[in-house]
Amino acid sequence: MSVSANDNNSAKVSVRGFLAKYSVLIAFAAIVIFFAIASPTFLTPANLFNVLVNNVVMLAIVALGLTIVISSGGIDLSVGVSVDMASMIFVMLLAAGYSGVVGVAGGLGAALIVGILNAILITRLNISPFLATLGVLFIGQSTQQLATSGGQPIYLTSGYAADQFNAIARTALFGIPTPVIMLIVLALAVHLLLHRSVFGRYVQAMGAQPGVAWYSGIRVPRELSMVHVLCALLAGVTGILLSATVKSYVPLSGNAFLLDAIGATFIGTTLSRERKPSVIGTLLGVLLLAIVKNGLLLVGWNFYWQQVGIGVLVFLVLAASFGLRRAAH
Amino acid sequence: MQTAKRDIAVSMTGISKRFGPVRALENANLEIARGSILGLVGQNGAGKSTIIKVLAGIIKPDSGSIVINGEAVTSLTPASVEKLGVHFIHQDRLLVPTATVGEAVFLGHEIGLGPFVSRRVMERRAADLLKRFFGMELPAGTLVKDLTTAQQKVVQITRALAQKASVLVLDEPTAALVKREVDSLFDVLRRLRDDGIAVVFISHYMQEIEKLCDRVTVMRNGTDVGTVDPRQTPIDEIIAMMIARDVGEMFPKRSVELGAPVLEVSNLRLGGSFENIGFNIRAGEIVGLTGLLGSGAKEIVQCLFGLKTADGGEVKVEGRELSLSTPVKAVRDGIAMLPEDRRAHGVALGLSVRENISLASLRRYSRSGMVSRGAENQAVDGLIKELSIKTPHRDALVRELSGGNQQKVAIAKWLSCQSRVYVLDEPTVAVDVGAKVEIYNLLNRLAGEGAAILLLSSDLLELVGVCDRVLVVYRGRLAGSFSGPAMNSDALLAASSGARSNIDGVAA
Repeated sequence: MSVSANDNNSAKVSVRGFLAKYSVLIAFAAIVIFFAIASPTFLTPANLFNVLVNNVVMLAIVALGLTIVISSGGIDLSVGVSVDMASMIFVMLLAAGYSGVVGVAGGLGAALIVGILNAILITRLNISPFLATLGVLFIGQSTQQLATSGGQPIYLTSGYAADQFNAIARTALFGIPTPVIMLIVLALAVHLLLHRSVFGRYVQAMGAQPGVAWYSGIRVPRELSMVHVLCALLAGVTGILLSATVKSYVPLSGNAFLLDAIGATFIGTTLSRERKPSVIGTLLGVLLLAIVKNGLLLVGWNFYWQQVGIGVLVFLVLAASFGLRRAAH
Repeated sequence: MQTAKRDIAVSMTGISKRFGPVRALENANLEIARGSILGLVGQNGAGKSTIIKVLAGIIKPDSGSIVINGEAVTSLTPASVEKLGVHFIHQDRLLVPTATVGEAVFLGHEIGLGPFVSRRVMERRAADLLKRFFGMELPAGTLVKDLTTAQQKVVQITRALAQKASVLVLDEPTAALVKREVDSLFDVLRRLRDDGIAVVFISHYMQEIEKLCDRVTVMRNGTDVGTVDPRQTPIDEIIAMMIARDVGEMFPKRSVELGAPVLEVSNLRLGGSFENIGFNIRAGEIVGLTGLLGSGAKEIVQCLFGLKTADGGEVKVEGRELSLSTPVKAVRDGIAMLPEDRRAHGVALGLSVRENISLASLRRYSRSGMVSRGAENQAVDGLIKELSIKTPHRDALVRELSGGNQQKVAIAKWLSCQSRVYVLDEPTVAVDVGAKVEIYNLLNRLAGEGAAILLLSSDLLELVGVCDRVLVVYRGRLAGSFSGPAMNSDALLAASSGARSNIDGVAA
């Protein structure tokens, strides 16, 4: 085997490695270009603003929480319940005439209870995260139906503090919508927590090899509880944002976030060689999903075909990343 | 040359392979003859597993040629290699635990009609094969998980024979076997050799190589440094070939002034496992602990690290009484633990060297909950250098290191923690000779720095060579404490099997 052939070979390998590593970014660029050509409205500021505020921010905040949980080696299927519970309590309190501060505190408190319930089931009763949060999902859904006589929405009429929230959701700071600023702050915080803090390192260790974490003197139950509480709280933030935006509580609407958030987090793992979730990867995953949904809508696909489009996209990104990486190895 | 010798089954010449900056194989050769057992030895990282993975088609070599049964092969895949009659019994690639013996033997070559497998036919054929080759009779439909480790090895070998293997490569097949099982495995291998099969036997145990192999190829630094007849070459000479220096003292001598007691254990008991256990370890002292399987020695160590909670008794470190209920508390009280199962409990393979080393001591490198990368890197680099951990860089995954270096990472984790008491559970199992000596040196250095060390081991020579004193546990009680001239492997063996006891000097 000659030297030049060898070089050629390794160059080919590194191109494949590059494609594998950045398959999300490449898919992202390709999709933006495609929709920019296919739809004249796609790249307009009004549309991008709409995508960010309505499709990205709320999903991304839920996905940030799931990123923490998935990093720890677990899963939270009850994020939708956390969204709904926060939304329900927030709207109920506001409808009863309480101030916005009380509403937010109550909403986050409701999400906190969901998180603590998950934590107890997982760390005290040693139920696997999948089954524990699945159980909480069932209980949470029924609770909402019982509390709303079978799933009746609660609407906020004008005059409540909700108006202020609704207004906040429409303001902007230096041209950046307020909800987007909220997301940036939360994402930065979760990024620092997950990738720079002692807690984050423990989370990574538990995700990589729980036995080693325990044998290294890490308080695994405590850290794991914190993981699930944080995830539920972040989902609660989305619940409050959702209610503030639509000025109502619609039972069981939180579940829509679950699968998209899981999908976004796993698309994000393709950025890392060890397939570890990361905040940057998750945000990219969310953007990718949001843009595809919006783009397909603009070119006239109906809702059901959008789901098909997203499914195919997830397959393609993951398959490209896995396949090319194996070839590069 | 290959065609001249008709009895050569596999000939690998000039094999080279690089992983990034790491040179795994450099112009390595391996020749496997029919009707003979070839030993393959070398330290971890010498290239044994890499050359075997090349032959198995798992790793693609950068250059070199491979001839199998007189036929030059260019690109190997795991499937094509099996078709050529070369089969591998990997160390940790286990069988599917819930499969039956029949399913395991014919895995990948199921017997049946079209898409339907006939489990009954497979069971019967597997039973026939097991009986014919090994005289082993198992009840029909026995599950793999219900077999002993030795029986599982035999099932794996049977699977190879069912596919008409002409070359059989066994990677550390005896690591988890007891002596009687090793003997019967050796009988099986000898019988296969006499039937004309080429057997390759990879092992860290020199006595096994000497006992079993017709020839042994020694690897060092990615190349083969020689092939000798192990029956005519002294073991010391083979070891010297492996590490390229005189073995001299396998167990380095040391002289340490013993200080005040650091670990004091009294009247410790755990229902069903052990009772009335009491001993002290002084600063600078290395105390051995041994006992047969089920003697309670292992459970004593687990209680000291809070993995199991003792029913009663007292444990003090530097005079302070501990409540050992979880490893969290044990670590905070200055106890370090090197667990036996390195991959499950010692190091996280998917994390970097840096993340593993700092895991137990992160608080030292952090301010208000945030890790200070600078301080962490500095400490980690210091430890990598100090323990001469062979790694491309601090952010390499531990998965990419050899077994001995992984063990060093597990030790570095506790050095970084500055623990006072080190509890080691079989630290040199599946570690090569060179790394063993390095680990012994490390223990000596820790002792020299005033740590108290408790070494649980079933390797009696190791205990005699390394420890100041050895405690023997028999049926849940201390059956002896040996030091000085009384501390020899015969005495330890006698005490652990209950034949003799020596309770003088057992601290209350």
